[in-house]
Amino acid sequence: MKRFILQLSIISIFALVAIMLSLSGANGWTDPFYIRFTTPKQQSLIIGTSRAAQGLQPQIFQQLLNRDINNFAFTIAHSPFGKVYYESIKRKHNKKDGGLFIVTVDPWSISSWCESPNDLGQFRENQLCLNKTHVVDSNPNFFYLFDNLPGKYSNIFINIKSNMYLHKDGWLEVYNIKMDSATVKRRVSQKVKTYRNGYLPKTKFSSVRLEYLKKTITYLKEYGSVYVVRLPIHKNIMEIEKELMPDFDLTISEAIDLSDGYLDMTPQNDLYNYTDGNHLYSQSGEKVSMIIANWILEIDKHQTK
Amino acid sequence: MLFNSIDFAIFLPIVFILYWFVTDKNLKLQNFLIVVASYFFYGWWDWKFLSMILFSTIIDYSVGLKLGNEKDQTKRKVLLWISILVNLGFLGFFKYYNFFLENFSAAFSFFGTEIQTNSLNIILPVGISFYTFQTLSYTIDVYKRKLEPTKDFLAFSAFVSFFPQLVAGPIERATHLLPQFHRKRTFDYSKAVDGIRQILWGLFKKIVIADNCAKFANLIFNNSGDLNGSTLVLGALFFTFQIYGDFSGYSDIAIGTSRLFGFDLMRNFNFPYFSRDIAEFWRRWHISLSTWFRDYLYIPLGGSRGGTWMKVRNTFIIFIVSGFWHGANWTFIVWGALNAIYFLPLILTNNNRNNLEIVAKGKLLPSHRDLLSMLFTFGLTVFAWIFFRAENLGHAFNYISEIMSISLFEIPMITERRSALVTIILTSVFVIIEWLGRDQQFAIAKLGFTWEKYLRWSFYCLLAVVIFLFSGNQQDFIYFQF
Repeated sequence: MKRFILQLSIISIFALVAIMLSLSGANGWTDPFYIRFTTPKQQSLIIGTSRAAQGLQPQIFQQLLNRDINNFAFTIAHSPFGKVYYESIKRKHNKKDGGLFIVTVDPWSISSWCESPNDLGQFRENQLCLNKTHVVDSNPNFFYLFDNLPGKYSNIFINIKSNMYLHKDGWLEVYNIKMDSATVKRRVSQKVKTYRNGYLPKTKFSSVRLEYLKKTITYLKEYGSVYVVRLPIHKNIMEIEKELMPDFDLTISEAIDLSDGYLDMTPQNDLYNYTDGNHLYSQSGEKVSMIIANWILEIDKHQTK
Repeated sequence: MLFNSIDFAIFLPIVFILYWFVTDKNLKLQNFLIVVASYFFYGWWDWKFLSMILFSTIIDYSVGLKLGNEKDQTKRKVLLWISILVNLGFLGFFKYYNFFLENFSAAFSFFGTEIQTNSLNIILPVGISFYTFQTLSYTIDVYKRKLEPTKDFLAFSAFVSFFPQLVAGPIERATHLLPQFHRKRTFDYSKAVDGIRQILWGLFKKIVIADNCAKFANLIFNNSGDLNGSTLVLGALFFTFQIYGDFSGYSDIAIGTSRLFGFDLMRNFNFPYFSRDIAEFWRRWHISLSTWFRDYLYIPLGGSRGGTWMKVRNTFIIFIVSGFWHGANWTFIVWGALNAIYFLPLILTNNNRNNLEIVAKGKLLPSHRDLLSMLFTFGLTVFAWIFFRAENLGHAFNYISEIMSISLFEIPMITERRSALVTIILTSVFVIIEWLGRDQQFAIAKLGFTWEKYLRWSFYCLLAVVIFLFSGNQQDFIYFQF
């Protein structure tokens, strides 16, 4: 009996170590979120949904503002403003003063898909990784992997040819996709269809989410400068957003007042390229990041004067 | 509690330690622990249905005792029927009530009379078909005087509720399992090691093969109307390996777990997809159910004693009943009937007892003839599984008609191609290992016996890593619903 238990324990320990070693191979190819839970707690953050995750490139801000900033934006399902995202931001933030925070906003991020748009218990993000993962700065992050990757561990080894790569700074780069006009047109039309027929009918403005947007800005403001940005999108998606929330700027005016500045880039929608209408193509993302960085520099200059 | 869950991974070592270190001096205490652990195991799903197992246990225990004392044949028959009616009554109510109601209603509508029916929102207790058949085997064997009724209620309760095989078999015979609860069990190192190895292989079958195949089988069967014939063939193949990995994986874990506690359960699968004809397939697939039907239905009906016609009739009866046992749906009945039809030529030509040995015994590769026979039998089985998996008969016929169309020659429309390819590669490796180990109790029973210890251990570690890394999304065991 002793022999049996001893041998079984030894094999189990070896197997466990082998599993841990295999899991530590997880990287930016594994999934679009994992790396964000492996970097240290941050002083400066980019907040928002997938538009910010794919559009805003921290290395540009680093070059122009000379500050490290981490992209902690997820998706419209994971990180609309709410308790879950608010708590996760607090966990990821290192509580040091002098931070820089870019908070991206759009009508979807202050809306809900559930019957009662203000019922926190029904929010879709409750079941997702931001709520499940309380340790956000461990590398490798076994907590994230065990809670969020079951059934997909093989992605660690076989997802290498994915066309998404999550950089250490949190930027989700989409590359190696066809960008000819016909393909882009098809993807845009597909995305517009999804937003118009899939999302728009079930989306309702949520005052609770708006409150959490204000709460998030208030919290971040304690530790540095907060800039609110509305990123550009394809004109066809813009039309849907206007239908959803025609007076968006007015709706979030109190949140804007809490911040150090608001930049609405949607009037320049036509100046950029999008992979699918909703997300900036990397080259356009670079331009947009530069514009935002320069805008922040301008505000900083004014404030210094 | 699922075998492939963290809950079970915690539960099993606790019960194992209590069993061998705390209660090992006293047989009654060990049996008591098994009963408590088994009720806990079952109650993890829904404790409310525990009362049914307890009720069934009390009825069959009491009927058994009375059958042992009763000399009057008529009274004995009455007692037997009480047990049968109670057990099958539960099964019939929970599993078939709505089915019969809907079909009666449909039949009346067909003849122009509309009747109002009130179908019930019934939850099917997990594993009811399994433990019902197991307890029935006890009463019938006592009635036939093949078995002395037990006077040990604890041992009988443990026999009915024994957790490794309570919810999905193997369906044990009282003559085989019950005496093991009366004997003192001693820890057997090689048996326990063998048990662990079988559990590991069962987990591989379930978690890696079945759950990964399930993802694609579900995707294809649920969207079959939009897919071409070649994709539907792939869907049927994925389901073929899903159901085998799922059910034989469960049986392996059940048998392996029992061995840890010093019990031997009957074999339930014997490499069925290497069968050369359908009769051989049924001697190798879900053996505990096939032999149950043979012993308690086919033989009492006259078996093969009354000539060819009787044999054909009885074969159809057991296959249709077996299909119906799987679920209250016409798809299962057609699946059973289809298998009976497959059987027909073998009965008529008296060839149903060929191929008793495993194929290509002692050889690495099969002969051309064996290979063709295996492929043909496998094809028939895959075709029949379409009915088994389909939502209803219309779904099955549409599925088959699309396969028969010209779209069979189009390129399969599979999303997540990389993941599908990995699943196909894993399944191919699995088939090769099964082939190499086909003369063993389970495929890896003797694998690595001649290797150095560190190599063998490395293999087990590797298998554990593969199980973890290539785990599909956790799915319930298919046979729980039966």
